[in-house]
Amino acid sequence: MKRNVILRINNEEYTVLTKTNRTLLEVLREDLHLTGTKEGCGEGVCGSCTVLLDGRPVRSCLLLVTEAEGREIKTIEGLAKEGRLDPIQEAFIEHHAIQCGFCSPGMILTGYALLKENPRATEEEIRFAISGNICRCTGYVKIVEAIRSLSTSEGRR
Amino acid sequence: MVDYALIGKGIRRVDTTAKATGEALFSADLKLPRMLVGKILRSPYAHARIVHIDTSKAERLPGVKAVITGKDVPDERWGVFRYTQDQRFLPVDKVRYVGEEVAAVAAVDEDTAIEALKLIDVEYEELPAVFDIESALKPDAPLIHDAYPGNINISVDINVGDVEKGFLESFYIREDAFEAPEDSYFQGEPYAVVAHFDSSGNLEIWMPNAGPHLKAKPLSNVLKIPLNKVRVRKITIGGAFGGRSEISPADVICAFLAKKSARPVKIVYSREENSIATRQAHSMKATIKTGVDREGRVLARDITCYMDGGAYSSTGPIAVSVPFLCMEQAYRMDNVRYRGYRIFTNKPIRGMFRVHGRAFACGIDLQLDLIGKELGFDPLEMRLKNARRPGDYTPTKSKVVSCGMVEAIERAAEKARWREKWDRLPPYHGIGIGCNSVQTGFPMGIRGGSQAFIKFNEDGGVTVITGIVDNGQGNDNMIVQIAAEELGLKVEDIQLINADTEVTPSDPGSYSMCETFVGGNAVRLAAQDAKRKLLKIASEAMKVEPERLAMRDRKIYVIDRPQEAISISRVVRMALSRRENISGEGSYWPKVDSNREWVTNPFGQLSETFSFGAVIAEVKIDPETGKVDVLEVTAAQDVGYAINPKVIEGQFEGGVAMGGQGGMLSEKVLWYGGRVLNPDQLDYMVPIAPGMPKINDIIVETNDPGGPYGAKEAGMSVAMSAAQAYASAICNALGVYIHEFPLTPDKILKAIKEKEEGKNR
Ligand code: FES
Ligand code: FES
Repeated sequence: MKRNVILRINNEEYTVLTKTNRTLLEVLREDLHLTGTKEGCGEGVCGSCTVLLDGRPVRSCLLLVTEAEGREIKTIEGLAKEGRLDPIQEAFIEHHAIQCGFCSPGMILTGYALLKENPRATEEEIRFAISGNICRCTGYVKIVEAIRSLSTSEGRR
Repeated sequence: MVDYALIGKGIRRVDTTAKATGEALFSADLKLPRMLVGKILRSPYAHARIVHIDTSKAERLPGVKAVITGKDVPDERWGVFRYTQDQRFLPVDKVRYVGEEVAAVAAVDEDTAIEALKLIDVEYEELPAVFDIESALKPDAPLIHDAYPGNINISVDINVGDVEKGFLESFYIREDAFEAPEDSYFQGEPYAVVAHFDSSGNLEIWMPNAGPHLKAKPLSNVLKIPLNKVRVRKITIGGAFGGRSEISPADVICAFLAKKSARPVKIVYSREENSIATRQAHSMKATIKTGVDREGRVLARDITCYMDGGAYSSTGPIAVSVPFLCMEQAYRMDNVRYRGYRIFTNKPIRGMFRVHGRAFACGIDLQLDLIGKELGFDPLEMRLKNARRPGDYTPTKSKVVSCGMVEAIERAAEKARWREKWDRLPPYHGIGIGCNSVQTGFPMGIRGGSQAFIKFNEDGGVTVITGIVDNGQGNDNMIVQIAAEELGLKVEDIQLINADTEVTPSDPGSYSMCETFVGGNAVRLAAQDAKRKLLKIASEAMKVEPERLAMRDRKIYVIDRPQEAISISRVVRMALSRRENISGEGSYWPKVDSNREWVTNPFGQLSETFSFGAVIAEVKIDPETGKVDVLEVTAAQDVGYAINPKVIEGQFEGGVAMGGQGGMLSEKVLWYGGRVLNPDQLDYMVPIAPGMPKINDIIVETNDPGGPYGAKEAGMSVAMSAAQAYASAICNALGVYIHEFPLTPDKILKAIKEKEEGKNR
């Protein structure tokens, strides 16, 4: 069954005529060309499809598009403001937390949400927060460093 | 010490801003007008004859634009060498593993494509199958390829010095067998291809690759079109780790679907397809007999190694040889025999992997530990006594020009405080060390060289053109950092066109770890060529000899009078007004022995230079659960010279995660017959952030005389030696030596139990 679904993404409203059994990930990537959100597994394991729903990280491959109606969706494309990167994006670049970059959009959004909720996140809390985001390239060291550089907790590097 | 402006500095990578914003496009992100969705029908059988394929119902389904089977694809076979070409991109006679491609469709959307696959009728006649090395070698085993009797795909036999005599002179000899099951890449990005033909018959194609030129040639062969019509385009790539260098059936299938439908086609692999139908890493059994003198120095080694190659040859001869070659580089061994066999089974195809041959490498190091225990030397001493030294020749006759093996071991030991800790750790704590060495390229014949071009614009900006590909390791940045350094420009003055076979000259690709050494040298030479032209013009204008001029900060200046300077853009315009263009060309062919051949003549210079790594791991084991807690890892590698130390640290850390944390604690493919039970990251247990140890990175620099600025391979030696260090540390903690990897809690608990029982007996 197809119907119009209204989505609020990165502070803009989109009306999408879509079958209701599709995932938010599919609609973002295929209908709205927001391909910054990646599909690394399609089954809720890797975290590369992470977007923020009302500020909290969710796996868009596990979410039906209709479940996102009426919620505030943020994708990686919505993080930079007026051509200026968000500090978390700057930190990932500066700390070499990005190699192939496939996990990066999901990882960055997860880090962003964590710091909003817990600006004093410790290394352990950071590692726990990103435990559902798999990175095959970096060994996580520089990702943790990047997020930690923005945390106001004691003992950050 | 040369005072470089950019080289040696951990500057930001040029590619990562686009990756941080979601702007960077990967293959699956592409969308072309009228593009169709391609899907592949795969074999449900491990071994079966294809009796008949009926595609008529699928073809009649509305929305289906093309259906192809093996009959639509010319009989071109893939295999890296002429003598190993045994894989049809779509088989016609039989299938040899679960997941092999059988037919494919292109349709207007995914649902229609999936529906169409269900409508293809394939009649199979199931054949007996073999799933392990022993069964494949039985005299009555089903034959997987008629051309390979006994299912033996490749045999390599290397015999150097006098092994018998070495054993006779040995003070102590022991033989051990080690084994490890298949492991897998799990690149972040699942495989994807987009293909499109224009009306002149030019193919444009995008896919993750470890060398666009390595993809273009087989595409040209099977499509019967010249190379200049095959345009493998540049695209962001989500990891390779030794894979993705070979042509994939998906590339060929996508191209044929695009041709038949006359529309662009995109195929995106599921995570499961990426795990079963790209490549896996070999499972392996290695028997190692080693004889040493009283001092623990190796006098003789006899090694036999069986590798399960899966259904087709793939990189066969390279795959069988590399585990041995890494170890003959890392350690001195004058008298050595290596017999390596790659065996066919009805399992997915195996290729090269970043942690290639863990059973072998961990076996060599664990055995050194065991020998040391017998003779009273600790693992560190055993490594130092046998470590490769500069100026040596390897047993297969490669000269080792630069070598920081000893320095890597010593510095790692110092940082990890080995000498304080060895033998003094509490119960169930352990420390261990692994050493490895990796090639910087292989002899690749006419595809072994790299060429680069530099184009100057009138405003002083530059475009660099090279075939070097970036799989995520930072090669794009390496190119820019080198060009900007040589030309005295800023990073932002350099534009890059690379890894696009329409425009870029041939390059050996990244999978043999040679992009910095070979490709980087070519870029540097191209820049120097352009620089020479600029300096000639500047020298006439400034009335100083070119040798007294240098370039920096967008200026050409007199070395001993830096205030006398002229801007580069001005010199370019001077050249143009003299009707001269400023451009540069450079090519680099590594000094390797072109007569060396993997099977028939495995002697001569294999690689112009080698990297050397040493990793030390410290672990704590919970004897109740068998769980390993890795406390600290120190990774040291001789990288020649660190062009960008931050990039190299990233390689080390990723290597520790993949080789040690994953490769030794959890990673293995699980099977039910020929079926993979854990094709996903969760059940395969790809390492995640919690539980990762603290990692100390130590960059050792030996300034290789041939490398650009002295650089060579960076990071793979660490990935391999991390697996060895983890194994060594865990066995040290247990006081028991386990011969089967990875060292999962079940094996650890079993070892603890057996040890307890042994004590009570
Ligand atoms: S794509 Fe959603 S978790 Fe992997
Ligand atoms: S950077 Fe490649 S998967 Fe994280």
